[in-house]
Amino acid sequence: MTAEHSRRDPLAIDFCGMDFATPLVLLSGCVGFGEEYTRVAGFSNRDVGAVCLKGTTGQARLGNLPHRVYETPMGMLNAIGLQNPGVDKVVDEILPTLDFDETRFIANVSGSTIEEYIAVTRRFDDSPVDAIEINISCPNVKEGGVAFGNDPDMSARVVAACRQVTQKPLITKLSPNQTDIAENARRCIEAGTDAFAVINTLMGMAIDAESREAVIGNNQGGLSGPAIKPIALLKVHQVYQVARPHGVPIIGQGGVTSPSDALEFLIAGASAVGVGTALFYDPLICKKINQGIRDYLDRHGLASVGQLTGSLTLNTPRACG
Amino acid sequence: MHKPHRGTIYVEDAKVLAHEAFAGEQYIMRVQAPRCAEKAQPGSFAHLQCDPMLPMRRPLSIMRTDPRAGWVEFLYKAVGEGTRLLSRRKLGETISVMGPIGKPFQPHGDRPLTLLLGGGVGIPPMVFLASSLRSNPVYQPLVIMGSEVPFPFKPRPSEILVPGMPEGVIATMPLLEDWGVACRLTSGAGFPGCHEGYVTDLARLWLDTLSEEKRRQVEIFACGPHPMLAACARLAEQYRIPCQVSLEEFMACAVGGCAGCVVEVKTDQGPAMKRVCVDGPVFDAKTVF
Repeated sequence: MTAEHSRRDPLAIDFCGMDFATPLVLLSGCVGFGEEYTRVAGFSNRDVGAVCLKGTTGQARLGNLPHRVYETPMGMLNAIGLQNPGVDKVVDEILPTLDFDETRFIANVSGSTIEEYIAVTRRFDDSPVDAIEINISCPNVKEGGVAFGNDPDMSARVVAACRQVTQKPLITKLSPNQTDIAENARRCIEAGTDAFAVINTLMGMAIDAESREAVIGNNQGGLSGPAIKPIALLKVHQVYQVARPHGVPIIGQGGVTSPSDALEFLIAGASAVGVGTALFYDPLICKKINQGIRDYLDRHGLASVGQLTGSLTLNTPRACG
Repeated sequence: MHKPHRGTIYVEDAKVLAHEAFAGEQYIMRVQAPRCAEKAQPGSFAHLQCDPMLPMRRPLSIMRTDPRAGWVEFLYKAVGEGTRLLSRRKLGETISVMGPIGKPFQPHGDRPLTLLLGGGVGIPPMVFLASSLRSNPVYQPLVIMGSEVPFPFKPRPSEILVPGMPEGVIATMPLLEDWGVACRLTSGAGFPGCHEGYVTDLARLWLDTLSEEKRRQVEIFACGPHPMLAACARLAEQYRIPCQVSLEEFMACAVGGCAGCVVEVKTDQGPAMKRVCVDGPVFDAKTVF
């Protein structure tokens, strides 16, 4: 171990050339434009490696009608509908209020057309954001979003188009609502993505039996929370098989609420771990997850959290009898 | 960079000090949450973890606080799984309380005749507001509360005279009576001493007895079910009285991060979706109705 290595915080990672203070990433759509959770005493953006900002489109969007959120067994449905003030306002008015000394800020780009993805990405390229996440997996809008993300050809076209207009690290957020996520990932790597976020929410529905009405204003929404963790772990494992040979890192996400959850995602192949819905349970959860990972590294004699990535031992499946 | 919003909401492990059940699945719960108690203002709410098995929090408006003793009191109705689980929490147990949250009511000193309208589980913020107004000699609050199920307190005849009240409408909330705050009750259920009708019906009768000049000194504050608030907004518009309403909506983060709890609001720039948690819960009635 070099002297430099030994001084490094065991939780710090390099993600696409960015220094993350910890492997935790606050997920887009959960933390507004980066300042909202700082209302909570004891919360700090410094506790995470990066903060993904709210999904941003070319023009302002009002989003969906209420209800937009609803708790389901061990999870929640949401259908916000990409409410945002439009990229110009985000770049001109919101980004200047963020403290880039505290953490890395990642823009989240969405759109109804490839042209819109390009325009928004271009605008963020000429801004202080540290990286750009392409959201081709939002399940709650009529056009774009998951309609692009579930089609590997369209996914690749969006990624290639955005790649043309930015040198910043490009993270593609993949949808679990598709047949072959690994194939989609392979195509996105060819198209020039630098990293993946795996997974976005799963499409779901809630019904009020008494009124016989759909609970969510948009009728369907995206399911998040602990209920989706096993699915997310498998998807991360599958994408890792494709991404590892190319050195393309993964932010693993979906139902992380504890240090153990975060460790499982790292072991499955993630380099960083997203925290979203768990913030709604406990806004101070990241401090606890960081400490839990630290304790684990000590207990297992590991010098760096990066050593865990993809350290999974698989069984050899065989039929019994 | 000065960021005044930072560190204004506290997460506290709050011990249940009292938890009393009333008719109609209503509950009054007092918890030890000193930081929330110190900073809460009328209209503030807190986001509570009802039960560890149901991890999403539920927003409850604050009814009373005692900053010196460090407690916060809520009145809620068990309407769903979360509040039903909350109702089973026992004395001495600990509940994670996140608060205070939201923009409070803002009474304007040039309108000292404050009319507070609370319906059902909309009663708590009106009690909190009344407790704040009574300590300021400028204001002469009148509280009108309505409920279709028995009130979560034992109404008693008021000795505070309220000119303009129909004969026989004498029932009040004992707590407000003890504070010296004028209060009357309404119900469609025929409870003794209560006005037969909605809070807005009694409010209208009272407003009609006021001179034009007196009406210009009235400001309305309301919390309750959506149809009641819509009626309050209509009443206020008709009498040209400013009106602040406290809204509720399904909520996830309660800190402005998820945009889950929005309501449509009219602005000079057209319609906008505002977050109940941090842009509200108190809104100018004419912007939402």
